[in-house]
Amino acid sequence: MNLEFGRVALVVLFGILPIIGIAMGLRAPSLRSRIPIFIGIFAGFIPIVALYVPKAFLSGETGMSSRLDLWLIILAAFALLLGIVNVVQNSSRKIGRREKGWPYAVVLLTGLAVTGSFGIYGAVTGHGIGFMPDGSSTPFKWVEDRFFQPLQSTIFSLLAFFMASASFRAFRARNAEASILLVAAGLVMMGRVPLLEFLAAPIPPLHAAAASASQFLGKLTEWIMDTPNGAAQSGIIIGAALGAASMAIRVILGIERGYLGLGKGE
Amino acid sequence: MPGFIDRMLTLDRRWIFLFVLVSVATPIIYPIGLPVTTTGSTRAAFEYIEALKPGDVVWISFDYGPSSAPENDPMAEAIMRQCFTKKVRVLVSVFYPLGGLGLANSAVAKVTAEFPDLKYGEDYVNLGYKDGAAAVMHRLGDDISGPFPTDVNGRPIGEIPMMRGIHDIRQVKLVFTAATGIIGEWWITQVHSQFGTPIIIGPTAVSAPKYYAYLNAGQLLGMLGGMKGAAEYEKLLAGAHPELAKFYKTTRAFTATKGMDGQTVIHTVILAFIVLGNYAFFRARAAKKRGAA
Repeated sequence: MNLEFGRVALVVLFGILPIIGIAMGLRAPSLRSRIPIFIGIFAGFIPIVALYVPKAFLSGETGMSSRLDLWLIILAAFALLLGIVNVVQNSSRKIGRREKGWPYAVVLLTGLAVTGSFGIYGAVTGHGIGFMPDGSSTPFKWVEDRFFQPLQSTIFSLLAFFMASASFRAFRARNAEASILLVAAGLVMMGRVPLLEFLAAPIPPLHAAAASASQFLGKLTEWIMDTPNGAAQSGIIIGAALGAASMAIRVILGIERGYLGLGKGE
Repeated sequence: MPGFIDRMLTLDRRWIFLFVLVSVATPIIYPIGLPVTTTGSTRAAFEYIEALKPGDVVWISFDYGPSSAPENDPMAEAIMRQCFTKKVRVLVSVFYPLGGLGLANSAVAKVTAEFPDLKYGEDYVNLGYKDGAAAVMHRLGDDISGPFPTDVNGRPIGEIPMMRGIHDIRQVKLVFTAATGIIGEWWITQVHSQFGTPIIIGPTAVSAPKYYAYLNAGQLLGMLGGMKGAAEYEKLLAGAHPELAKFYKTTRAFTATKGMDGQTVIHTVILAFIVLGNYAFFRARAAKKRGAA
């Protein structure tokens, strides 16, 4: 049996400790939060320490940090399963109570069952969810190509219609801020496409002027995107990263406990 | 004229929808062939791949779904065509759960069919979909076979000839991610920042603005911003490799260059709507002021 220090430590921290925690929680509800907080502390500290301590048991290929990454990938797959359970529960409840829009829940569950069974069929037969050995589509891919993809594209393409309607009815230069936004948006919209060439197309004498004006607009657009937009985006990204880091520190130190889902007094 | 504008402002929005439909569909069915100008970030991406040597490895990640496929499909296909033309080997992965794998499989099948000499497992490998994108990317710095023990067909990575000598993401010369949402940012923070692998991103136009910050910081090597970026890339590709121009001149297949015609018309329509709406707004406000006076 491979008794590497990192592997044993992970088994103790994330295998034995949670079992002790459950036992403690059963005996004394007030202790229910202790072990999850310890697990959170270790799960947060190990990858950070691994960045700075070049020891094989911590940051090596089979070290604790690498193993935690793999565990995270497995956990993410379980999150998908939880999502399916949640969809089935909510939709079944909606159908059972005949709530508003319940026929849509029937369609949703039917789609889930049919697509899911085709996926399982592909896994069992070994054909997967792509193409059959003869190059034809598997049943899963057939459903995806003919139902899922067109439906998702349709939903997204509706945006164009709503944006056009909204721009007509709501995009107004009501004050200075809205005017700046309006002008910047107008310039970027003009600069991203050969709009002037399109408008000048029926008038040949204007072609050259339209081409050079279009080039100028293109450069202006790039400047707007690069400089004012780039600077603002940097500020937003740095601010969000600092917020995320401070939240992570709060979780690691056990100050932030909302994720435990505990009731009062626990 | 004022009466006409007032009537326009009370127009049933279904007329606007019909107008938009006609404006978008007509140029796609009957392409106009408007010129496409290239930008620095797209040229930087193109020139980097042009400078790669035969046998180098490029990782192409399909991190988008059907909703943004008209923007992302052409860029992923163009990059694949360029790599295969230059005998650069390609690794394909998918991190977007909602239909990303189907799009990747279709794009790989489509583009590899255009290069009959390519051999699966030697010139390209499809690693398939993996959940938990950020953790997978972080793990790629240790080894690729950890998060991807098999390819999309279930074949163990160790048995694939191309994967010999590609142990981790450091052996990859470039990552190109056609991305919608946050996955593109994870490639920068989890892979480039930690292992130094250069990243080129192909985001949707709506998420392109945030990536200018990463471009300015030098954390992105290049960017193909939305359909415009894809159309620029198609132009550069067809210019540098005349043998690939045929894929962008066909009147049947959808290309970003063709899509740009539709985008130009719809931008014109939306700008006209904005101007019209604001003219009516200022006229109404002036009338109100005159009435108050």
